[in-house]
Amino acid sequence: MLSFGQLVYNEWLKMSKKRSFLIAYAAILICIAAVGYLIVATAGDEMPTVLEFTSIIMAKNGVGVIVTIIAIIFTAGVVSKEHQLGTIKFLLIRAHSRSEILASKYVTVLLFTCSLIIFSAIIAATGGFIVFDHAAGDHIWQKIAQAALYQFIYTGIYVTLTFMFGVITRSSGATIGIGMTAVLLEGILSMLLSGYDFSKYLLFMNTDLSIYASSGPPIEGMTFSFSSVVAAAYVLLFLAASFVTFKKRDIA
Amino acid sequence: MSAYQNQQHAVMQLRNVTKLISGKKIVDQLSFDVYPGEIVGLLGPNGAGKTTTIRMIVGLMDMSEGDVFIQGKSIRSDFTKAIRNIGAIIENPEFYPYMTGYDNLKQYQRMSEGVTEERLKTVTELVGLQDAMNKKVRAYSLGMRQRLGIAQALLHNPSLLILDEPTNGLDPAGIREMREYLKRIANEAGISILVSSHLLAEMELMCSRVVVIQEGKYVTHRTLGEPVLQEQNISISIRVDDLDRARKAAANVEQVEVVQMLVESNELVLSLMDEQIPQVVAKLGSEQVQIYRITETKQSLEDEFLKWTGGNRIA
Repeated sequence: MLSFGQLVYNEWLKMSKKRSFLIAYAAILICIAAVGYLIVATAGDEMPTVLEFTSIIMAKNGVGVIVTIIAIIFTAGVVSKEHQLGTIKFLLIRAHSRSEILASKYVTVLLFTCSLIIFSAIIAATGGFIVFDHAAGDHIWQKIAQAALYQFIYTGIYVTLTFMFGVITRSSGATIGIGMTAVLLEGILSMLLSGYDFSKYLLFMNTDLSIYASSGPPIEGMTFSFSSVVAAAYVLLFLAASFVTFKKRDIA
Repeated sequence: MSAYQNQQHAVMQLRNVTKLISGKKIVDQLSFDVYPGEIVGLLGPNGAGKTTTIRMIVGLMDMSEGDVFIQGKSIRSDFTKAIRNIGAIIENPEFYPYMTGYDNLKQYQRMSEGVTEERLKTVTELVGLQDAMNKKVRAYSLGMRQRLGIAQALLHNPSLLILDEPTNGLDPAGIREMREYLKRIANEAGISILVSSHLLAEMELMCSRVVVIQEGKYVTHRTLGEPVLQEQNISISIRVDDLDRARKAAANVEQVEVVQMLVESNELVLSLMDEQIPQVVAKLGSEQVQIYRITETKQSLEDEFLKWTGGNRIA
C-alpha cells in the first residue's frame, strides 16, 4: 500500500512539474472571474449571495465544462506521453506489475480532477465573499457539495473515456481530440437522439446526474439510479478495456 | 572456465525462448545462460532478434514460448521478484526532459524498495554526474543521458545489467568511457552484464563471452581473450621483394601452407606453427629473398562473425 502511494506520488510529480500545470488553475481562475464580472455587470439590483454565486459556478453550465476539458487535456498525456518520450521502458521494468502502474496513473488523474473542482469551489467562494452579499440561503452548503459531487462524476466519466483512448492510441494529440469531441457532441447527440427509446442506454444521456434534482429526466422513465448504473457500467467497461490493453501490449 | 561455471548458479537462464509475430518466428528456441561477473555480448546482424530477445527478458514483450529465469525466478510467472534483480537500458535512455536528473532518479528510487538517499548519491558519483544533477535532463548531452541511464539501472543493486546497443550514438570518447564503466562495474561489484550490439570490435574489447544469433536462432558462442593454444597453426604475413621466389622457397619448408599472395603489397600470407617461423626465415635468407616485415595476422571477431553468419548478407 505504501509503495502504491509512492507510485501515485511519482505520477503526481510527473504531472505537476510540467510548466503547463499552473495554466490549468489559471484558466479556471480567469473563467470564474469572467463569470463573476458578467453577473455584476448585468444583474443590476438582484445580486446573488456568496453561496448562490458559488453554486452557479460549480454547475455543469458554469465552469464545469472548462474543468472537464482541462482534465481531459491532462489525462490524455498521462499514458501516451510515456510512450512518446520512451520513458515507458524504464517505467515498466521496475518491480511493479503493469496493473499497479496503470492504476496509479488512473488514481492520479482522479486526484487531479478533484483538485480542479475543489480549487474552483474555493476561488468562487472567496471571490464571491469579496464581491457579493454574505446572506446565506437554506441548505446552500449542501447544494454546493452536491454540485461538486455531480461535477466530479461528470468529469470522471469523460476522464475515464479519455484515459482509455490514451492507453489504446498511445497518442496524446489524438486522445485530446477524441475526448473533446465527445464532450462537444454530448449536447447535440442527446438532443437529436432523445426521441428514440434506445438512447437512454447511451453514455451521453447519463453523464449529468444533477438534472434529476433540477430539470428532470431527459427521457420519460429514466431515474437517478438508472443513470448511475448505466454510467457505472460504462466506466467499468472503459477501465477493463484500458487494463487489458495495457497489460497485453508489447512495448516495441 | 566451464568447470567454474558449473559450480555457480547462473544469474540468468534463457530456456527455449520463442517469439512469434504474425506467424513469423522472430526468435526461435533461444537458450543460453549468463554467470556471475561475466560480460556477455549478444551478437547478430541487424534484424537477428537481439532487441526482441532483450525486450522479452525484461518483460516489455511477451514470450510466445519458453521462459527466462533471473536468479531462479520466472519472468513470466513471478515478474516482480525476477525483475528486481535486473537493471536495464533498452536502446536510448529516455528520461522526463522537464525534470532534473535528480528528480528523474528519485522517480526510480521511489519505485524500488530499500534504495537510500546514500545509495542514490553513490551511484551518481560512480557515473560522475554529481555536478549535473540539478540541471534539467533537456539540457543533457547523449553521453550524459547514457550515464544517467546507467545510474538508473544500478540504483537498486541489480545482479544483472542489461544493455541494448549501449554505444549507439556515442562518439569514440563516449564509447571508450562506457566500456571502462562496464568493465569496472563487472569487476568491482561482480554484476553480470548482457550487452547487445552489432559493433564487433567494441564487443571484442568489452566482453568475456559472446553469443551469436542469426534469424532468431542460436548460432554459436565463443569465449574471448583465451590464449592461443601452442599446437595451433597461426597465420603470418611476410613482406618481401620477390613474391614468386619467396613462395617457392616457403612452400619447400615442411608443414607450411601458403594461404595467399598479396600482389599490391608484396606480401605472402602463410599458415604455420611457431617453431617453423625461423626455418622459413632461414630458407628465404638462403634464397636471397629480402624480408622487410613479418607480422602476425590475427583473425578478428569480425572475420569469425562473418564466417558464422554467412557474411555477405545485409539483413
